[in-house]
Amino acid sequence: MSFYAPFTLPFIVGTSLLFLIVVWRYVSWFFALPKADRRLFWRSIPSMATFKSLWEAVRECLLHVRIFKVDWRLGYMHASLAFGWFLLIAVGSLETIAYLGFEMVPLQGHVFFKYFAVQNGITEHKAVWDFVMDFLLAVVLSGVLMAWFKRLRSRSLGMRRTTKHIVGDKVALSFLWFIFPLRLVAESITSALYGGGSFLTGSCGALLDRVFGDTLLAYAYEPAWWCYSIALGGFFVAMPFSRYMHIFTEIPLIFLRNAGLKVASREKSYDNFEVQACSRCGVCIDPCQLQSVLNINDVQSVYFVRDRRYNMLTQQTAQNCLMCGRCADRCPVGIDLLSLRLNSREAMRNIPAERRYDYFKGLDRSEGEGRVGYFAGCMTLLTPRTMTSMAQIFEAVNEQVWWADRDGGVCCGRPLKLSGEVDSARKMMRYNTDLFRKHNIRVLVTSCPICLKVFKEDYNLEGIEVLHHSEYIARLIASGRLALHHTDDTFTYHDPCELGRGGGIYEAPRSVIESVGRLLEADHNRRDALCCGSSLANTVINDASQLRIATAVTEELDKTGAQTIVTACPLCKKALSRSATHRVRDLSEVVARAIVK
Amino acid sequence: MIHRVAVIGGGVAGMQTALRLREQGLEPIIFERDTELGGKVRNWHQLFPTFTEAEAVLLPLRNRIMRENIEVRLRAEVKKFDSMSVTLTSGERVECGAVALCTGFTLFDARVKDEYGYGIYDNVFTSVDIERKFVDGEFKRWQGREPERIAILHCVGSRDEKVCQRHCSKVCCITGVKQAIELKKCFPNADIFNFYMDIRMFGPGYEELYHTAQREYGIHFVRGRISEASPLMDGRVQIKVEDTLTGRPLRMSVDMLILLVGMKGNSENVHFTEGTALRVADNGFMQPKDLFANNVCSQEEGVFYVGTITAPKSIGEVLNEAVVAADRIADYLKK
Repeated sequence: MSFYAPFTLPFIVGTSLLFLIVVWRYVSWFFALPKADRRLFWRSIPSMATFKSLWEAVRECLLHVRIFKVDWRLGYMHASLAFGWFLLIAVGSLETIAYLGFEMVPLQGHVFFKYFAVQNGITEHKAVWDFVMDFLLAVVLSGVLMAWFKRLRSRSLGMRRTTKHIVGDKVALSFLWFIFPLRLVAESITSALYGGGSFLTGSCGALLDRVFGDTLLAYAYEPAWWCYSIALGGFFVAMPFSRYMHIFTEIPLIFLRNAGLKVASREKSYDNFEVQACSRCGVCIDPCQLQSVLNINDVQSVYFVRDRRYNMLTQQTAQNCLMCGRCADRCPVGIDLLSLRLNSREAMRNIPAERRYDYFKGLDRSEGEGRVGYFAGCMTLLTPRTMTSMAQIFEAVNEQVWWADRDGGVCCGRPLKLSGEVDSARKMMRYNTDLFRKHNIRVLVTSCPICLKVFKEDYNLEGIEVLHHSEYIARLIASGRLALHHTDDTFTYHDPCELGRGGGIYEAPRSVIESVGRLLEADHNRRDALCCGSSLANTVINDASQLRIATAVTEELDKTGAQTIVTACPLCKKALSRSATHRVRDLSEVVARAIVK
Repeated sequence: MIHRVAVIGGGVAGMQTALRLREQGLEPIIFERDTELGGKVRNWHQLFPTFTEAEAVLLPLRNRIMRENIEVRLRAEVKKFDSMSVTLTSGERVECGAVALCTGFTLFDARVKDEYGYGIYDNVFTSVDIERKFVDGEFKRWQGREPERIAILHCVGSRDEKVCQRHCSKVCCITGVKQAIELKKCFPNADIFNFYMDIRMFGPGYEELYHTAQREYGIHFVRGRISEASPLMDGRVQIKVEDTLTGRPLRMSVDMLILLVGMKGNSENVHFTEGTALRVADNGFMQPKDLFANNVCSQEEGVFYVGTITAPKSIGEVLNEAVVAADRIADYLKK
């Protein structure tokens, strides 16, 4: 048996190059990982995490379950291409075995089996295999058709906007789009000349035969296989340099992620796996409010990750993001988009100011060792009604409170972290941690979700329970310490990004609202909630733009017909009250008004 | 030719316009929605930079209006207008040959900047409240402890992107200097601080008064905006501010925090543009035809602007502008 023909050369070269480049990349990235990360990975093999990863790889790399959740048509398109192609390869190998038994067959022998079967004088055809292979090819071709159609009308596949691709991606895309139609042509011609083929290649072959005749097809036979091989080879060469690098990269990413590796506050080698696993599918574009409200079309996560991968990231792109997490929530690959953006900002902006924080010395003038520490947060200090309401609540339940940042605390550090100034942020975190320890608190309550997030994620507060005021109040109500008047008043609730998607707290504020009145939900709520637009994370858009985003949000909240808009973040409150026609209140204000005296 | 001119708004701009129109032999009619003429100046005690009583400006204007027998409609709110007629909310329609819009400005609502605690804490006032207290003589019979420290904060609702007020309200700087001196006269032992971004002393005598405030009255000027205010147990207000000239954060307890509120374009301005060629500028004030030779004209023939409807201005500037506008109206009607 011979499995060599000149036309396979482009395929063989392309495949070899692909293999070398991909292996070289993965190995070098892996060995550039910090030792602790590598140890994490080795320890995870074999463990439950390994099986979890295998299953996840099947689900996400082949079946694309998460894309199905975004839209079933989009899901089918991706699954038909990925899983269809995978089955073509797998079933194709079985087909070779069925014909030749367990014989050592080189790769091109499997891929171009139809051609080599003829070459090696196999004349008997197995109809079942022909049918299965035709069926799989039809599935893949339906995906390719949908992909073509998506370029023309993305809306019909459930996407309002699709990614604007760079030249390299377009080249790879063109090769990919031609692979399967060319395979169809080559296999159809083969069927027409030498028999075989099922409902697809068989019928196409018959059709070609009737139109062009035997002689012409015989001339086209070799060139057709050449074209198919060139399309494959071209795609494989373009693959590692284009977005299609994600096809393989998602697999090591899943294994490393399940082993416990994370994107850190500074860039590291692991980020390569995350960045190159991005398929630039563009699912992140639609949820972005910068796009839907402000028509900013070049800063979304897909473009950020792309620019970072090709070393062409600008401050403008890195900084122009609300960090609301709506895109990360939808990402079918589960890329840690927010952390990646943060460590890019760190790389660009972290210039420690040595003397700026000298004023910390002698700042603490507070007294007492209360059981509960209340950290209002800078934004709450700018919305004093929340402060006075919290004071009333503490008084009503007779809580001994130490006011953490009125006479001594400094900023929680998250705003600096968000802008990339991690070292300066650490200085503040260290100072506040020492302060909390000094005053010996057991519970730390904050009414600012921005502070809450950094306390939970970046502070080392072992032994101190960190609560958002919504959780704290919900607990007071549940334990019967705080009695509230229930009225027929109606409220709607705006989920703050940092509290909801950022902190996973959706139900505590809702339960508090329901104990004072009736809650009417807005169209976008919980995980899907909109951002108020005034995020500290965005230092690029101006105030008028922030206002436009807020206006779009308040319009939706007003539509619920609720008398009061409630939120649980001082920044959201400030943002929304600028454009709301209804009154906007912090959760604590609503509670303080309803206290049974 | 119709000689009647509708003057909408009876503040200093409206009164002066009407008077000049009468001098030109025309027949002005003032529509004022309030119960008396005088507009916002009525609430003012003394005027910068000369400490002239506000009443000394208003009284002659009012008296002349009476003497000239100019028709004044009080409690008359204009519902809609064009260059040929004015319709009141009562339904009455008044024909005219031209319209002078003198509806002025809206004071910035200090409650929007809730970080300063206006309406939440005692002892946080606006510059308008302070004038009111001077008019009512409240400081003369000030109860209780004499204030030790008073903070005056500039640019509240001016030059502030966060509240969508990017423009400079122009007159607050000098108002801050004036009120600081007045307060010092009432409370000679008090330390009075002005917290500013820039001090803009554009008018005659302003710069001199700024120097007098520092030299003769010992008033402190600190460059830095107050970031937040919080209440103290004894009712005083604690402020946090960065002295941006020394780069040091500062914390201070004051007996009184005074917010120099800025000028905002009226929200009704938008209604003027409905079905007309009139335009609201980005800053919320009306956009005159141009900022030079036609700065009292609008995009609509027969509709003219006078005073702070187009931008923040001082009283003197408004009075001058009224004369110019009235003359342009007379020219227009003669054509």
